[in-house]
Amino acid sequence: MFRPPPSLPCALSRRELLLRAGSGFGAVALAWLGAHDGWAMPGPSATGKPGLAPGPAADVPQHRTPPDGHVNPLAPRPPHFAARARSVIWLFLDGGPSHIDLFDPKPALTKLDGQPLPPSVPRPVTAMGRTAHTPLLASKRQFSQHGQSGLWVSDWYPLLARHADELAVIRSCHADGLNHVGSVCQMNTGSILGGKPSLGAWCVYGLGSEADNLPAFVVLADYPEDPPGGGRNWGTGFMPAQYQGTRLREGPQPILHLTPPAGQTAANLRHKLDLLQALNARHQALRPEEDQLAARMAAYELAWRMQRDAPEAIDLASETAATRQLYGLDREETRRLGQCCLLARRLVERGVRFVQIYCGSGSKWDAHRDVEGNHARRCLESDRPFAGLLADLKSRGLLESTLVVWGGEFGRTPMSESGDGRDHNPWGFTVWLAGAHVRPGTYGATDELGLYALEPRVHVRDLHATILHLLGLDHKRLVWPHHGLDERLTGTGGRVLHELVG
Amino acid sequence: MCRTRLYRAVWFGVAGLWWLAVAVCPRAVAEDGSFSRGPWPFVPLARPEPPPANPWCLNPIDAFVWQELAAAGLQPNIEADRAALLRRVTFDLTGLFPTPAEQAEFLADPAPDAYERLVDRLLASPLYGERQAQFWLDLVRYAETDGFKADGHRPLAYKYRDYVIAAFNADLPYDRFLLQQLAGDELEPANPQALAATGFLRLYPDEYNAANLEQRRQEILDDLTETVGLALLGLTVGCARCHDHKFDELSQEEYYRFQAFFAALVERDDLWAGTVEAHQQYATQLAAWEQATAGLRGEIEALIGPAREALRSDALGKFRAEIQAAVLAGDAERTPYQKQIAALAMKQVTARDGEAAARLSEQARARFEQLCKELAAFDALRPAPPETFMAVSDVGPEAPPTCVLAGGNWQQPLQAVDPGFPALIGGGTPQVRPLSGQTTGRRAALARWLVRADHPLTARVAVNRIWQQHLGVGLIPTANDFGAQGEPATHPQLLDWLAAELVESGWSLKHIHRLIVTSATYRQSSSVGTHPDAALALARDPSNRLLWRARRRRLEGEAARDCMLQCAGTLERRMNGPSARPELPDNVSPNYAWQPDTDPASRNRRSIYVLAKRNLRYPLFEVFDQPDLHHSCPRRPVTTTAPQALYLLHSELVRQQAAAWADRLLAAHGADVHAIIEAAFRQAFCRAPQQDELSQVAAFMAARTSDYRLAAARNAPGQGEPGTPASSPAGSAGPPHGTQGATAAAPPSLPGNQPAAAVPPAEPVQPAEAARAREPSQASGERDTTAGRDSPDPGGTPDPGGTPDPGGTPQPGPTPEAALRAAVADFCHVLLNTNEFMYVD
Repeated sequence: MFRPPPSLPCALSRRELLLRAGSGFGAVALAWLGAHDGWAMPGPSATGKPGLAPGPAADVPQHRTPPDGHVNPLAPRPPHFAARARSVIWLFLDGGPSHIDLFDPKPALTKLDGQPLPPSVPRPVTAMGRTAHTPLLASKRQFSQHGQSGLWVSDWYPLLARHADELAVIRSCHADGLNHVGSVCQMNTGSILGGKPSLGAWCVYGLGSEADNLPAFVVLADYPEDPPGGGRNWGTGFMPAQYQGTRLREGPQPILHLTPPAGQTAANLRHKLDLLQALNARHQALRPEEDQLAARMAAYELAWRMQRDAPEAIDLASETAATRQLYGLDREETRRLGQCCLLARRLVERGVRFVQIYCGSGSKWDAHRDVEGNHARRCLESDRPFAGLLADLKSRGLLESTLVVWGGEFGRTPMSESGDGRDHNPWGFTVWLAGAHVRPGTYGATDELGLYALEPRVHVRDLHATILHLLGLDHKRLVWPHHGLDERLTGTGGRVLHELVG
Repeated sequence: MCRTRLYRAVWFGVAGLWWLAVAVCPRAVAEDGSFSRGPWPFVPLARPEPPPANPWCLNPIDAFVWQELAAAGLQPNIEADRAALLRRVTFDLTGLFPTPAEQAEFLADPAPDAYERLVDRLLASPLYGERQAQFWLDLVRYAETDGFKADGHRPLAYKYRDYVIAAFNADLPYDRFLLQQLAGDELEPANPQALAATGFLRLYPDEYNAANLEQRRQEILDDLTETVGLALLGLTVGCARCHDHKFDELSQEEYYRFQAFFAALVERDDLWAGTVEAHQQYATQLAAWEQATAGLRGEIEALIGPAREALRSDALGKFRAEIQAAVLAGDAERTPYQKQIAALAMKQVTARDGEAAARLSEQARARFEQLCKELAAFDALRPAPPETFMAVSDVGPEAPPTCVLAGGNWQQPLQAVDPGFPALIGGGTPQVRPLSGQTTGRRAALARWLVRADHPLTARVAVNRIWQQHLGVGLIPTANDFGAQGEPATHPQLLDWLAAELVESGWSLKHIHRLIVTSATYRQSSSVGTHPDAALALARDPSNRLLWRARRRRLEGEAARDCMLQCAGTLERRMNGPSARPELPDNVSPNYAWQPDTDPASRNRRSIYVLAKRNLRYPLFEVFDQPDLHHSCPRRPVTTTAPQALYLLHSELVRQQAAAWADRLLAAHGADVHAIIEAAFRQAFCRAPQQDELSQVAAFMAARTSDYRLAAARNAPGQGEPGTPASSPAGSAGPPHGTQGATAAAPPSLPGNQPAAAVPPAEPVQPAEAARAREPSQASGERDTTAGRDSPDPGGTPDPGGTPDPGGTPQPGPTPEAALRAAVADFCHVLLNTNEFMYVD
């Protein structure tokens, strides 16, 4: 079949004919502005509408062709099959949290504390090289079981532990990278090498946006630093930039260029926009065939509404004192991350598709030394905000339609580094999911020491496939043609964890 | 629509027959890889006879286009009006708009060859090379940083960019352009430009501190193989890395045979070009210096050596035993593979050499510093370091083995292979012989094969890209995929004819540009409304594949910035040299933000000179579809988004340029609002405003002026002004290239600054908050010696040397002049946002 590459100017267009027939700018602008009206997200409780059911029905979208670049590319698109979630909040613990000190207790490691890795265990090529030979380091944490599933959680997460029955803890994750940049990149894009679209971008491409005047994919961080690799972790690689994440930052301009600079009034802006649109309309009238011109005019109106409405969405002032306390906004140590988590809830509430929060942004979980001191601090910062987020989403009925993902780019080694630290461990680590009707409990395992994941292992690709599945997207059918290949987030692999999805 | 389907069906039918023929006939493959007959476009290049011309045709291109149009019963559009054509061709060839003076000159030129002379002038302009370079740099994924976490700066990378610009400007024959980039070190070792050209083979993303060097080496080779395939052959060879290509006739073994051409590659930052005598002379002088300083250097080494070796040994310790062995072995004992691995490892092992002195005892360090001073006294004896480049060479005359890798995994090598050409393109094994003792000769063999006159792909791929640039879509629309997965050609005969023209003209790219932009096809109006039978054309060929009209195109982000600076009169025309670092918005990634240049003129250089940083693309470019800098991009997507609108409405950059433009207009036309509007329209749109536009804008300006005055009256003195326009960038450079006539002499701010001073600038010229970047500024340290050689003489332009507001104290309410200035700035700001500004008809 003929498949136009993205935004080919020649790819068109009954629209051209329509315009030729006289429907003109107004119709196209309307299509852009109101594209999502009348489209309802099929929730898990949807009454089985036939067109949305899985299966090779003729109208099941294949997403084999990217949308024509001239109309609103973010208009909502129906999922491949009934979705369990409409939004994702991804808590990305930047730097690699120690699974064996948080969710994966290892009594055998305690016994072998101070001894080298037993000869029976293959020695990995570690990031720091020497750590393949350093003594094992027992966890100093107290673990206890929580909830009906008896989930093991360490004493670093006392508040989060109260939500044990919401969590699906996957202990057998593994990844391919050794260093932060490649591993963060893989967790986001599926590849340890840069240049591929991020998971958030794939989701926005697949489903479009339900947030009227907000970006569809938002990236937050508790510290000013970016994760290693910076913006390409929420970039679009070979896809157009429209699907990329928008990084919100602290300060008077949280979204780049969202609002007029100081001294510019809204009236002034509106006045200028009116002249602009008048000149554009005149220009367009002489070129009625060019829907790009109309789309661009519509984009200015969308920009106007974004600068008008987005500030309210990201303003936490209207939240009650109780809500603020729930997230820890009243405490210095939890204020930063608490703000991000509360903001994430507000965004999801308003239809934002994908929110990613870098927790300890700038590799702050990277405990090559003093894992105790480092993680105690990080957990103190994150326990209350995470627990507050789950509680708040639940009480507002949002947890059912929101998938919460917790995890870093890798875990940490049972072997010590610098005496009291731990090196990177991409061979076995923990990620958990919550919300979106995932089945709570513990899935998979690492070996006795927590170094290697045991079969059936869960690769990053499997996580991606599962997340897409929960959003109603088939990772094998969500493709983008590029350089002669139908590129997928999951490459040639990917397995949906049906046991967890239920 | 039906016709299009029919074409496709016919094309596939013909192609299918070819494939069948190819599949069943045993293919004769000569030892030197003569091109066998495969499906078009894999057949040897041959020049087709153009169809008979008719009065519409201006050159043979049009005959080919006419033939297809006529077959579909369609007519071409009328010629675009002269002003639109001037704006289009000026933009296409130089990336800027025609200045008012250039407009006046061309529009008043009645000579029948005025357009052809215009084209010649544009092709001769140095702006041409700057414009063309962007397309090539997209293709070769040019960047000046490594990517990965560190995203380290490559200080010599800009020389490759300068090479590309110079090559286009000099119309370096395309065959030589490729020979130099693939094998400049082997073929032209005495030519510095050829060494700069080999930077082409250094543009892969890199993680200098990778833990797994064997994997890193393989990733680099894969990246090179894929990029060369895409950019030069227009083939998606990368698909065959893990398995035989599913769609094109390319086996996994052929992929690795193709990769073997690069197997011996090694990075070299120390190569310099010179005659044998020059090298000898340098060696003699260096030996003299070494002899004179032998004692001193021995003493220094005795002091610093142990500390340095301790650091190196520490760094080496993290590698696996095999890698340590490769590093510790003497050069003579190393295998070629070990040489490559050792070269990669040494980047890390020596990374901390500079810290050695700090590890000495205080006494030893004092002695060390003393000795260094003494050594410096001999500097006069030491030969001046020759100019070096980001270049490559081979590890030696012997290459490391290349093996087919199961699943593309470097840990699963299968059979070893020799360099060879894909059977799809003739196949064969090249005659490889070392050209000197230094290299294998493999890359030279590949380059010579690529530029053979009958090569099926090289010329076709190249002319297709030029066509795409001027007509919006290539004759083969998938410019990086000429294979079976690509789209079929719309005018295969025309592609062949142009490719043959390229080869027969001595590989002159300017010749192809000239042919295309002087054709009647190119000169058509882009408007449907001017077409003699638009309804039929829209019905039969709605996507305009047959070219019954020109295609409207949007400015890329880079070009939009250039044209804004051009309007504002702030564009700095200095060519070449280390890259410009313009200001960044104050909330971009602090990890990767750069320190802006302190000198405003440097910040205002053309976009092609803006630092190309993998982990932080310049935000304006990024939002307007600049490709990710990790992969070859044959053609940019064109997206339309709200963030683009927000950027143009609210960014400092655009507001500052609008203010500078306003100052320029006011200086030239005083308070004559109609004259200001007319001049602005001419500059931006290449036309005069219509009467209704004039009155609409004039009303806008009157209302804005009045608003500013009212707002000022409401505000007590010193409380700032709502709606204050941005200040013009300090030290606005001289007029842009070629600016003459009415606005040419306009100083960048109002004479005497009196009215300007009345409106306090809203922003400091150099945002201090942007100065928190980690990277040291290159602005002063690396000023290139060639800088400024093409700049207009700024002598005639008074340099305000800072902000246009020397006083800085807020005045008690704006004067009428200041309110007008703010209103004109608002108008200019609007113009920079219009569709008419952002599109070329």
